[in-house]
Amino acid sequence: MRNHLRALRVARGWTQAVLADELDVSRQTINALETGRYDPSLPLAFALSRLFEQPIESIFDPEPARPNVPQGR
Amino acid sequence: MTSNLDTTRASNGDRTRAKRFMTDFLPAMAAYVVILVVVVLFGGLDGNSPARFVWAVLPIIPLAWVIWAMARHLRRIDELQSRQTYQGLSIGFGAAMLAAVTAGFLGIAGLDMRLGGWVIFVVGMLGWAVGQAVLAGRNG
Repeated sequence: MRNHLRALRVARGWTQAVLADELDVSRQTINALETGRYDPSLPLAFALSRLFEQPIESIFDPEPARPNVPQGR
Repeated sequence: MTSNLDTTRASNGDRTRAKRFMTDFLPAMAAYVVILVVVVLFGGLDGNSPARFVWAVLPIIPLAWVIWAMARHLRRIDELQSRQTYQGLSIGFGAAMLAAVTAGFLGIAGLDMRLGGWVIFVVGMLGWAVGQAVLAGRNG
């Protein structure tokens, strides 16, 4: 599933590790979410929604998964 | 586009979970090694005493501790890591079953399979380790 997680994280000036600690998950999970390789569970999606104060559907786009790996990595 | 916000350094939570796992796991492995050395030196495994069977299974006690450490770790890790671990375990189980069936057939064909148990163990553990490493590498 595509998402705007990286943009939301960067807008707050957070590293993946900081966001991971905010959500009590691993940094690896944040990376897998941002690159579209992993779709979160419902509890994690709600936790993200609460943290960024946005509805789930504005964070996640239910399009077919297409890895959105940032350029230059 | 990348920035200093894209660092791949572990989070505080990652480090804490890893430290807790090591706190559980390392003493268990140390106990296993100590008991193994004691059994090899004093167990008389190549003798005729019935007590040698008790000596032979003594290393199982610290191994149960290792399994307990793994179980605690599984309760601590997050949803993606749990999924990776279970997938890795599935790969390891499949590899161990293939090794067991192969050893069984080779035994039927007359090959000495006294070390078959160890072969199954090693293949299963390797399958788990390699499978999980590949899965973890994919998710960065």
